Amino acid sequence: MQKKLVILLTLVLVFSVFSVVGAQEVKSPDTFTFVTIGDQSTLDPHFAYDTGSSEVIYQVYETLIDYDGESVQDFVPLLSTEIPSQENGLVNEDGSEYTFVIREGVEFSNGNSLTPEDVKYSFLRGMVSDRSGGPIWMLYEPLFGAGFAGLSDVTADLVGVEDPKQLTDEQAEEVLAALDEKITIDGNEVTFHLAAPYPPFLNIVAKGASWGSILDKEWSMEQGAWDGTAADIAASHDPVKEEDPLFDKMMGTGPFILTEWVNGDNVVFRRNDNYWGELANFKTAIIRNVDEWSTRKLMLLRGDADMIYAPTQYRAQVESEDGVVVTTGIPVLQNMNMVFNWDITTEGNNYIGSGEMDGEGIPSDFFDDQDVRKAFSYSFNYQAFLEQVRMGEAIQLRGPIVDPLLGYDENSDVYSLDLEKAEEHFRNAFGGELWETGFTMDLVYNSGNDPRKTAADMLKSYIERINPKFNINVRGVQWSTYLDASVRGTLPASFGGWLADFPDPHNFVQPFLASAGYYAGRRGDTYKEWAEEIGINDLISEGISTTDSTRREEIYKELQQMSIDHAIDLWIDQPTGSNTRRTWVEGWYPNAMRPGVDFYSMDKVAE
Amino acid sequence: MLGREFKKNYIYYTRKESYELLNYIIRRFLILPFILFGVTVLVFSMIMMLGPYQRLSTYINDPAQLKGQDMDELVAKYGLDDPWYEQYGRWIGGVAQGDFGWSESAGQPVSEAIFSRFPATLELAVFAVIPVIMGGIWLGVLSAVHHNQKFDHIIRIISTIGWSFPTFVFGLMVLMIFYGVLGWFPPGRLGADAAAIVRSAEFASYTGLNVLDGILNLEFGVVLDSFRHLIGPIVTLAIVWWSYILRITRSSMLETLRKDYIRTARAKGVAEKFVINKHARRNALIPVVTVAGPMVLGLLGGVVIVESVFGYRGIGQYAAQAAQQLDYSGILGVAMYFSFLLILINLIVDVSYAVIDPRIRLE
Repeated sequence: MQKKLVILLTLVLVFSVFSVVGAQEVKSPDTFTFVTIGDQSTLDPHFAYDTGSSEVIYQVYETLIDYDGESVQDFVPLLSTEIPSQENGLVNEDGSEYTFVIREGVEFSNGNSLTPEDVKYSFLRGMVSDRSGGPIWMLYEPLFGAGFAGLSDVTADLVGVEDPKQLTDEQAEEVLAALDEKITIDGNEVTFHLAAPYPPFLNIVAKGASWGSILDKEWSMEQGAWDGTAADIAASHDPVKEEDPLFDKMMGTGPFILTEWVNGDNVVFRRNDNYWGELANFKTAIIRNVDEWSTRKLMLLRGDADMIYAPTQYRAQVESEDGVVVTTGIPVLQNMNMVFNWDITTEGNNYIGSGEMDGEGIPSDFFDDQDVRKAFSYSFNYQAFLEQVRMGEAIQLRGPIVDPLLGYDENSDVYSLDLEKAEEHFRNAFGGELWETGFTMDLVYNSGNDPRKTAADMLKSYIERINPKFNINVRGVQWSTYLDASVRGTLPASFGGWLADFPDPHNFVQPFLASAGYYAGRRGDTYKEWAEEIGINDLISEGISTTDSTRREEIYKELQQMSIDHAIDLWIDQPTGSNTRRTWVEGWYPNAMRPGVDFYSMDKVAE
Repeated sequence: MLGREFKKNYIYYTRKESYELLNYIIRRFLILPFILFGVTVLVFSMIMMLGPYQRLSTYINDPAQLKGQDMDELVAKYGLDDPWYEQYGRWIGGVAQGDFGWSESAGQPVSEAIFSRFPATLELAVFAVIPVIMGGIWLGVLSAVHHNQKFDHIIRIISTIGWSFPTFVFGLMVLMIFYGVLGWFPPGRLGADAAAIVRSAEFASYTGLNVLDGILNLEFGVVLDSFRHLIGPIVTLAIVWWSYILRITRSSMLETLRKDYIRTARAKGVAEKFVINKHARRNALIPVVTVAGPMVLGLLGGVVIVESVFGYRGIGQYAAQAAQQLDYSGILGVAMYFSFLLILINLIVDVSYAVIDPRIRLE
C-alpha cells in the first residue's frame, strides 16, 4: 500500500514539474488569446456603439485611414492611399471637402474587389440604417451641419416627415438624392462634401470608428442590408437589432476573418490569408469572456491567456509574477463627473425628502444656486479619490475636456478640498436660508459601482461635518432603478462619464455643456436656458466650425474655464488605463481610440 | 432464496397496475401546459411591476451605453409602455408559433440560447451525477457500517466542512491546485487546440456533447481534453454534494440496519456483505432518491457558481445573466425550461418510488 502511494506521489510530482516548466514556454505560438469581460452587442459596424462590439469589428473591417501608432492626431493610409490634406490637394481650401484615393488590389475575404462604390455604399448604408441611439450622428453632423443628428432630421428638413419609415416613394427619392450628393465618386476617388468645415472629420472616419468601416456592397445586399434604392430606405432605417441583416455576419478587408461568435463566451478569428498587406502573425485569434477574476489570472499565469483584463484593485496579484508584464498610465479619453440636476423633478420623487427648503428635503432648484454647486465642489477630496480609489492611476478633471485634447491646460483652475470655502458658499446659498434650515437629500449610485459609492460617501462625510443640519443619505440602487430615476430627472445629482467617440474637444463640450447636449438633459431646462444666455452654445458652434487651431484652442480653454467658474458639474477625474499580458507578447502599443486589442500588430516571441 | 423472491416482487406488475402507471404519466404530461402557462403569467406579472424605464435596462445594461440614447424613443420602439396584456399577448403569441422571443442578454433567440447551452449543462450533469450520487452513497454506507468508529467520525467532520463551505471557495481551491499549480484541469469546455478541431468542417457535431461527439468522430484528443475540463467542475460539485448525500444515506442506513428483518437475516447466518448490500442498502435508498431528484434538477438547471468559476458556458450562467439584465424573454424561457424539468424529474422520482418499493402505488 505504502509502495503504491510513493509511486503515485512521484508521478504527481513529475507531472507537476513538467506542467510548470511547460508554462514558461510560448504556448500555442500560432494562437493569440485575450481573456476579458463583457460581450458584444452586435457585429454590424453601423449599429455598434460599444467597445465590446467595436473590438471585434476592428479585427475584420477596415476604414479609409488609420492612426499612426500611439498618436490620436496623426494618420497613416489604410484603404485610402493618402491622407487628405490641403497640402496634397485632397482637402479643399475652406476645409469642407475631403477626397480619398481608394487603394487598388484590395479584396474582401470572399474574393470581391474593393471599389469606390463599396466606400460610398458603406457610408450611405450607415446613414440610411441610422438606428436610434446609434453612432451615425457623427456622420450627419459634418455632412449636413450642426443640428442634424440623424436621418429623421434630414427628412424633417427636406420633406417635412419626421419618421423616415413614413416616407412616400417620391419623398424617399428626394432624401436619397440629398444623401447621394454628399458623397461623390470620380474615378478612383471618393469625395465627402461637408456642410461646413469640420476639423475632426478625419478622426470620424479613422480606424477604431466602427461606423467608418467599409462594407462589401454586393455581399451586404445579398445578406438583406439596404439595397441602395430609395424604396428600401423605410425598411432599412432604424432596424431592430436582431432583425438587422448584419447583426451576426461580417465581411471585411481586414487581416482576420470571423470564424465563430458565441456571444458572452468567445469570438474566434482566423487569419485572412488573402490580406492585401503583410499577413497577421497568428493563424487564430480569440477573445474569450471569463467574468471570474481568479480564473482569468490563472489562465494568464498558465500561459493559456496571452493578455487579460486586470482591474486596478487586483493587478498587484499578477504584476510581480514571472512571465507577466503590466503597462500602466495609458492615456484614456474618458472622464467621470457628478452631474448636478438644476431642475429636479419633484413629482413622485423620494430622493429629495420633503422637496422643500425646510431642512427635511431640498427644493427642485437646489443645484440652480451656484453657491450650492461650488460648496459641493469644495467638499470633495480629489487627492484622496485619485490615490485611494484610482490607486494613483487617474488625474483630476479640469472641466469636461480631457488630457491631451485641445483646450486642456494642466495649469488651469481646479477645485480642491477646502471646507472653509465650502462653508462660505453654503452660508451664501439661497441668501443664507440654506445655512439656517439645513437640508436632507439622497446621493444615489448604481449598486456595484464602488468608485461612485466612495465618491458619494466622501461628499456625505465632508458636507455633514460643515453643518449638523446638512444630511446626505448615500443610497445604492439597482441599475434598472438608477436608469429609471435619471431618465425621469428625479436624481438630485447623478454620476456621469464619457468615453470619446473621436479625439476632439468638441466631442466633450457638446455632450457636457451644449443646451442640446446629452448631459444638459439631465440638468433640466434651467440649465439649457442658462447655457444659451451665457453664450456657451455660440462658443461650441464656433469651435467646431473654425479651422484656425489657435482660435479653437482659445474657445475650448474658455469653455473649460466656464465649467469650473460656474461649477456646472462636479468634475472628478480622468482615469488612465493599463494592459496586462505575457512577456512573450511583442508589438503591443496603446492607442486611446482603439477599442481594445489589435491582434494584427502583435506577435509571440520566445524569451 | 430470499433474494430471488424479493426480485420477483420488485419487477412484477399486473396489467392493471401498468395501465395505472401509464395513465398517471400521461395525466402529468397533460397538466404540463397549464403549469407552464401559470409560471409564465406569474413571472411576467412580476416583471411588469417594474416601470418601462426600469425595464429599459434590458437594452441599456451599462451607464456607458446611455450616451446618445433617446429613452422615450427606445421605450416606444420596444413597446415597453404598452399595456401588460398586450406585451404578454405578443410574447405568448410568439410562443404558440414556436418563437420564444429574443434574448437581449444572450444576443440570440431564447430557444437557441437554451439549446446551445443545454449540451454543456447535460454533459456536466451526466458525468457528475454518477460519481456524485454513487460516491455519496458509498461513503454514507461505509460511514453507517462503521458507526461511531474512527472512519465514521472523519467522514462526518469532512462532510460537515464540505457542506458548510461555499461552493465558490471549493471551486477556486480546485482551480488553483489542479490548474494553477498542477496545470491538469483547465477552465472552460475545451482547450484552444481541441476547440479548433471541434470548429473544423470535418468534425460533425451529433449531440453537442464533446465527449460523445469526440468518440463518434474518432477524435480521442477531443475526448481527453473534454474530460480534463470536466474534472474540475465535477470534483467541486462532488465535494459539496457528497457531504449531503452521505449524510442522508448514513442516517437512512443506520435506521435500516436496526430493522427486525436485518436482525433476522443476520440471525439466519446470511453473510454480512450480503446483508448490507442486498438487504439494507437497497431499502435505505428511498430517501436518497428523494434528494437525488432535486440534485439532478439542480445539475440540469445549471450550476451558476461552478459554471462561473470554471468559465463553463451552461444554462445556469445564462439564467443568472438574464436575471441580472432583466431580460424578460430570457427569464421566461428559463422559467419554462425549469418548470418542464421539475415536472419531468418529479415524475421520474415518483415512478422510481414505485419501482424501488412495490408497496407504493401511484393513485
